Amino acid sequence: MSKPYLVVGGGPAGLSAAHSLGILGEKVILVEKEDRLGGAPILDGYAKLVPSGEWAKDAIGSMVDRVTGNDNITVLTSTTVKEQNGADGNFDVTLSNDDTLNVGAIILCTGFTHFDSVNKPEWGFGTFEDVVTTTQVEQMISSGSGVRCPSDGRKPNRVAILLCVGSRDRQIGREWCSKICCSVSANIAMEIREELPDCHVYVYYMDIRTFGLLETHYYWKSQEEYKVKYIKARIAEVTSDGEKLIVKGEDTLVKRPITIPFDMVVHAIGMDPNVDNMLLSSVFDVNLEQHGFIDKGNAYGSLGATTHTGIFVAGAATGPETIDDSIAQGSSAAMSAIEYTKSNS
Amino acid sequence: MPIHEKSLIRPENIKTHDELVIDGIDVSGHWSTFIESRVISDYNEALQEEISALPGGENIHRCFQCGSCTNSCTVNALNSEFNPRHWIYLIRLGMEEELLRDKDILWQCVSCNKCTYACPRDVAPEGVMKAASHWLELKGHTPKSPSTLFDTVFTDQVMETGLIEESRTIRGFFGLTNQSLTQGWLIEMVKRMIRHLPIEMLMKMGLATILRPKTKNWDAARDAMREYTAEQHALHAKALKLDQVTPKENN
Repeated sequence: MSKPYLVVGGGPAGLSAAHSLGILGEKVILVEKEDRLGGAPILDGYAKLVPSGEWAKDAIGSMVDRVTGNDNITVLTSTTVKEQNGADGNFDVTLSNDDTLNVGAIILCTGFTHFDSVNKPEWGFGTFEDVVTTTQVEQMISSGSGVRCPSDGRKPNRVAILLCVGSRDRQIGREWCSKICCSVSANIAMEIREELPDCHVYVYYMDIRTFGLLETHYYWKSQEEYKVKYIKARIAEVTSDGEKLIVKGEDTLVKRPITIPFDMVVHAIGMDPNVDNMLLSSVFDVNLEQHGFIDKGNAYGSLGATTHTGIFVAGAATGPETIDDSIAQGSSAAMSAIEYTKSNS
Repeated sequence: MPIHEKSLIRPENIKTHDELVIDGIDVSGHWSTFIESRVISDYNEALQEEISALPGGENIHRCFQCGSCTNSCTVNALNSEFNPRHWIYLIRLGMEEELLRDKDILWQCVSCNKCTYACPRDVAPEGVMKAASHWLELKGHTPKSPSTLFDTVFTDQVMETGLIEESRTIRGFFGLTNQSLTQGWLIEMVKRMIRHLPIEMLMKMGLATILRPKTKNWDAARDAMREYTAEQHALHAKALKLDQVTPKENN
């Protein structure tokens, strides 16, 4: 009988990898460090997903259900991997509860960590209560409480969304584009306009990267149907006059400094490498690429390959990734893992 | 003043004080010239909606600031201050004060429609210029332009009679724009017409001036047109919040 597969991480990529292996009759052990499956969309309480518009708890929830309902898959929550030794289709793994496993291949679906906005103090997060992150706005929407200013619970009349918070910023060592924040911000802007039609939403951007069809469904829809306004300006600082938040910067298209009052400022936070990536790199003996994400091996020979033969990777562990692509990568990494174990047996 | 890009500084923002002491430091005179920053301190959120409510402005929200309109613009080629792309941006974001700085050139669009064909987003910038000029007039920022006055005289006459009687149009237009009817070129034109036009045509023209003929059964058409234009005017006034008249004005 062939050895089981180890999938590390129970987010969209991990759920997809485990499901793909499970339905093909392979035994899977799915290890998740948190106490429940679902990854960022569930743990961080996302609202409606881009681009499907489905609620995260329904869309990702159904992926969780089909994994927990599959007899070939063993789910271990609140568990991490402590040690790993092996090669050639024979990996010995020690878990955090000191159980040991022998698996034929490993798929890392260890995801990302949201950028922590306190690392950009000039934009007021942590100083002013009404400066929040996209994740917090997602939670306001998904919890049903609605978008409100945290300081006093009032409905905001004017919201600024600042793009590229923790992305494309050499000053803080994050040179990458987080890829999804533009579309997510446009989505949030539309949700705010839908819930609060009298609230005006301004998006401050340097470039807009609502790639592919998202151009129509998010960038233009937000402007044409929802009258969201986009201003080409990188904000210099967020302060307060005691009553409102004051957003300062330069409107680069009219070459003018701006000092505009807002009720609420939203940071479109980017995707950092998983904070555990150094540890993961040493435990699994895989290289990290220059930004700290898990490095990919030859993408054309074997989808999802890492620098360690027999260990595969999928989703945002490899760099900023969309949910849809993470799911696709989970499935392709599963295929690569099967191919690998068959060639070893 | 050896300042880079001095042309970008607005004269009213240059401040020199004959006597000024700040924190015990004397900053009087020419050597302590201050330049006030041209800060944008607020947005007028109604501006885009107001302009898009006027004919021609409907598609302004589609603009992505590529500059094809300005690049193709006939007037811009002659006056680089005439920049449709820039005004569309100001309108979209509600920078009313900035827009009003250009109120005396904004209406100079010649409606050649090169921008209409160049625009990749179907904004119809020519229409936006029309709507913006219209907005300036309705809000009282600029007097009615000669072309608006001409249109008014012309359409009023068409609506009233179903016909155009040129001398009446000219008299009406000259009256509204305070132009003399005894200008040399006009007198010369009339003289030549009398000299060279066939008698029959001259008589017809003379009679038309006196009798003011009307298209047969015109009244129904006139009423329908008047009703429609009144409706449109009311809609525009409402969109621009000009209908909120005080009781005093109402009487």
